[in-house]
This record gives sequence, C-alpha cells and structure tokens, in this order.
Amino acid sequence: MNEPGSDTETPPAAAPMPAARTGAGWRRDVWPGIHWIQELGGHRAGIARAVLESGADWYKPGNELYVPQNAYLLTGERTLLWDTLSPASGHILLPALEALLGDRPLDYLALSHPDVPHAGNTMQVLRRYPQCQLVAPAVGETHALYHLDDAMKVGPEDEIDLGGLRVRFPEATFLDAAIHTWMSEETTRTLFTVDWMGFPHQSGESLRRTDEIDTVVDVGRLEEFHSRVMFWFQYVHPHKVTAATDALAVQFAGYGLAPAHGLPIPGEDAAPYYERMNEVVRRVAAGGRGGVL
Amino acid sequence: MSVIDLGGGVSWVHESFPETNGHIHVSVYLVDAPEGAILMDSGSFHHRQRLADRIHDATAGRGIGAIILSHSDYPHSGNIPAFRRDWGDFEIIASCGDPDLQGLPYARRTKIGDVTEVLGRRFVVLDPPLADRNHTTWVYDEASRTLFVADGFGALHAPGASHVDWGRLPEEGRAEGVHEFHAQTLPWLRYADPDRVMGALHAMLEQHPPAWIAPIHGPPIAEPDIPRYMADLSNALTRIAASYPAQTPE
Repeated sequence: MNEPGSDTETPPAAAPMPAARTGAGWRRDVWPGIHWIQELGGHRAGIARAVLESGADWYKPGNELYVPQNAYLLTGERTLLWDTLSPASGHILLPALEALLGDRPLDYLALSHPDVPHAGNTMQVLRRYPQCQLVAPAVGETHALYHLDDAMKVGPEDEIDLGGLRVRFPEATFLDAAIHTWMSEETTRTLFTVDWMGFPHQSGESLRRTDEIDTVVDVGRLEEFHSRVMFWFQYVHPHKVTAATDALAVQFAGYGLAPAHGLPIPGEDAAPYYERMNEVVRRVAAGGRGGVL
Repeated sequence: MSVIDLGGGVSWVHESFPETNGHIHVSVYLVDAPEGAILMDSGSFHHRQRLADRIHDATAGRGIGAIILSHSDYPHSGNIPAFRRDWGDFEIIASCGDPDLQGLPYARRTKIGDVTEVLGRRFVVLDPPLADRNHTTWVYDEASRTLFVADGFGALHAPGASHVDWGRLPEEGRAEGVHEFHAQTLPWLRYADPDRVMGALHAMLEQHPPAWIAPIHGPPIAEPDIPRYMADLSNALTRIAASYPAQTPE
C-alpha cells in the first residue's frame, strides 16, 4: 500500500492491515472495506499541559499530542467517503483518495455535518470526482446556506447499499449542528460517531486502533476532548445524557466505534467506553468546560 | 434603508432566510471604530451581493477594516474571502484552538476572557452559554453596551417583519418564534437543565449589562425588552427539555 518514494513507517505488530505514511499524510485499512484517512493537525500544547497537570499517566512528556480529524473511505462494489477533513488538509485527502481508489470512481460523498473541520474539502472532492453524489443529513432547515440544497438527503430510515457494505444513518445522539447525522456500516458493525467518543493521542499512536496502543483511554482522556467540544455538558441534566448513552450501548452493542476525532475502538472492546462517557458527563456537569478546541 | 442604526455607532444589516415555520435572520452588524468599520460576522454567501452593496453604501465606499467572527460556521464566515477581495486583507479576529482547522489561517486568535482592541474600539470576549460550536464566542462592546451573540438569542419572525427589533414584533407568535428557533438550532438543549442555562445568561447580563442584545439569527433586543425576552427564553428552554424525556434502553 505504500507509495513509491514515500516515507514509510512500519505498522505495529498487532495491526492486521497495512498502514502507510506518505508525504501527503496518513491512511490505513481499519476494518475490511473501511479505510481511514487521518489529519493530525498540530501539536496541542495547551491540552498537553492540562493532561500533565491532571496527573494522567497515559501521556509521555515531550511527546506531540494530537486531536485528529478522521475521514473514512468505504469500498464495496461502490464507494463512499465519510467526511473530508479540514480545509488545511486537502493535500492529505485527495492523494489518499486517489491512491485508494485508483481507477475506481467515488460514488458518494457523505457529510456528517457541514462543520468546517469535517466538510472543509467538499468542493475539492466534488471537483475531482464530478460524478460523485453528495449525501447530507436530512434533518435541519437551512441546507441552502451550506450549498446542501441539491444533496441527497438521508435520515434514520435510509440505507445505501454499497455492494458488500451497507450504510445507514441513525440519528446523531450527541451533536453540535442542527444539520447532523451519524452513520453505521452493518456488515462490519461499525458506528461512526462524529464528534462523540473522541480523545487525544500522542506520538507513536497515530493511525492505530485502541487495541494497538499501549496506553489506556480512560475517563480523563475522554474528558479532555469532550469537556472542550461538548462544552454544553456543563449545562445538562446528567441523567438525561447518561440515559441516552445507555440506550446507545444497547442499540449498538458489539459495534466498533469510528469517531472523527479519536482512534477507532473495536466492537469487542467498546462496551466499557459507554460507561466512561457517562462519568465524563457527570464530571463536566460538575466542573465546567475544559476550554476550547 | 440600507442599515438600521442602533445607536452608539452600531448598525444592523439585516438579512433573512425562509424556513418552514417562519423566517430566520442571518444578519451582520457594522460598528464604527476610530480606525475604520468593523463587521460582526460576515453573513451567508446566500446574501453576499446584497450585503456587500449595503456595507458599501453604509461606509461611503470605504468598506470594512476588520471582521470579528463569532465562529467559523459557514453562514457566519462564508463571505470572508469575497469581502477580502472587495476590501483588501483586513484583519479577522476569531476564537478557536487551531485557526488552520477552521479555515482561518490568517485570523488573529482571541480567547474567552480577553479584552481586545479592534481598530481602536474595545471588546470583551465572552463564553457563550447558548452556542452550537465549541469555539464560538460572544463579544461585548463596552462603548455602546451592545452584546453581539450567536447562535443563541435568535427568534423566527413572520415574512415582512425582518426589519423590526424584537420588542416591536407582533405579540402573537413572538414567544413561539423564540421557542422554535432554539428548538431547531441548538439540538443539545434537549438535555439541558434550563435553570443552569438561564443562570449563566443572567450572570452574564448582570456583569455586562447590554443596551442592546444583537443576535445574528434574530432581531436586536433593546434593553427594556430584555426581561420579556428572557422570560420567553426560559419558557422555551423548559418546553424543549420537557419534550425530550430521559430515554429508557429498549
């Protein structure tokens, strides 16, 4: 999978799929038919300081700390790209897509929500693949303000059969923008949770799944992300949020989790993460937001 | 009338977008500063030419010297590249952890709690209790006592009422417009404790008492009308929270 002349890095021993770091960025296969394209962004010094001050033992001082953006390319008989990274990373996304797709077309570009770090390369992708069908969340009222009025709208009743892969669009349980959807892939049983279940990682952990890293993703690590991105946890009735999380844990029991701002979590490991998120909500509701991302 | 004067050097440049149950403002504000005109947000590309024409008229052709951006959401930031082509590389002031990721590599970064000077006018950068994106900030203009806000404090309005401030909207449907706006715009309010949100808002208004609250997505709210708006907002938050009872796992 490595490109000629690329700056390659050996994948971890536990990784079942090849990974490649090219001059243009990162990509790897995360589960069969699901390819992961990652934008690291810069070192987050402020969050690193907060992690050190918290006494967390998962972060090694001096390491770079990242809160990544993830896009996922799904390849069945037809192909679908889930989100597009930020506008700072068109130079990562487009070469990765071209390398992964080869001569194949991109059939669908599905946006979780029209937020800049998620939709920042939409026009570039559509220009490169002009036959691609843009897919957008059906929920919301202001699609025209985001150039989404002509997109194919999807909601919880919809499914796209990619031929070997089937994607659905469950309601986004935890969200920021009104126009928003999550996505699931039913053959691999993967839930794409967008801004929920994100967390920072450090040097050496990029493009690894949680079962391929040596450090723990505990409550504090999840809190570093959600106390910033889901700042509104500080204003909630915690029991309403935890009830919604518990319902998700039942509805998607056994599903792997593929967040937009963390590392993918295999389905067999996912169950404890729901309870960790419940503790995150209780902490943020009691202690307030952690800052801005 | 190209813009509506709110006093203190602040003008409202209103634009609206039709929705199912009413129209929503996607407006901007102009602030006269000693060293030029400041635009609060850039508006939507949907209204680009009309906004550009009206700003051109209101500034006697000089255009703007800076934009203070509430957040990078496209209906708020979508005209920045076009306006920079029109009026040069004016300063962008924005709050976010990483401006590159928000498509604003050229922005001057502010953070919550800052008191920042823009073109010779002072603004206090505030932590918004009613926002969608985490990097959103509100700003308080000390000279005019105007609180510029997004996305909270909005209200839907009837067609034809896009040019009047909130207190002069017809009473019938006015409270419903506050509820409808917040229910559809801030989906996290389904989980909210209304008392916590309202407590944070009251504390902010006490610390930074506004002569006007100037929302991007609603008509301006004049000081005498703020108690009525806050009562309607409190009722709206209570209704939204009540309409989403805690789930029970199936």
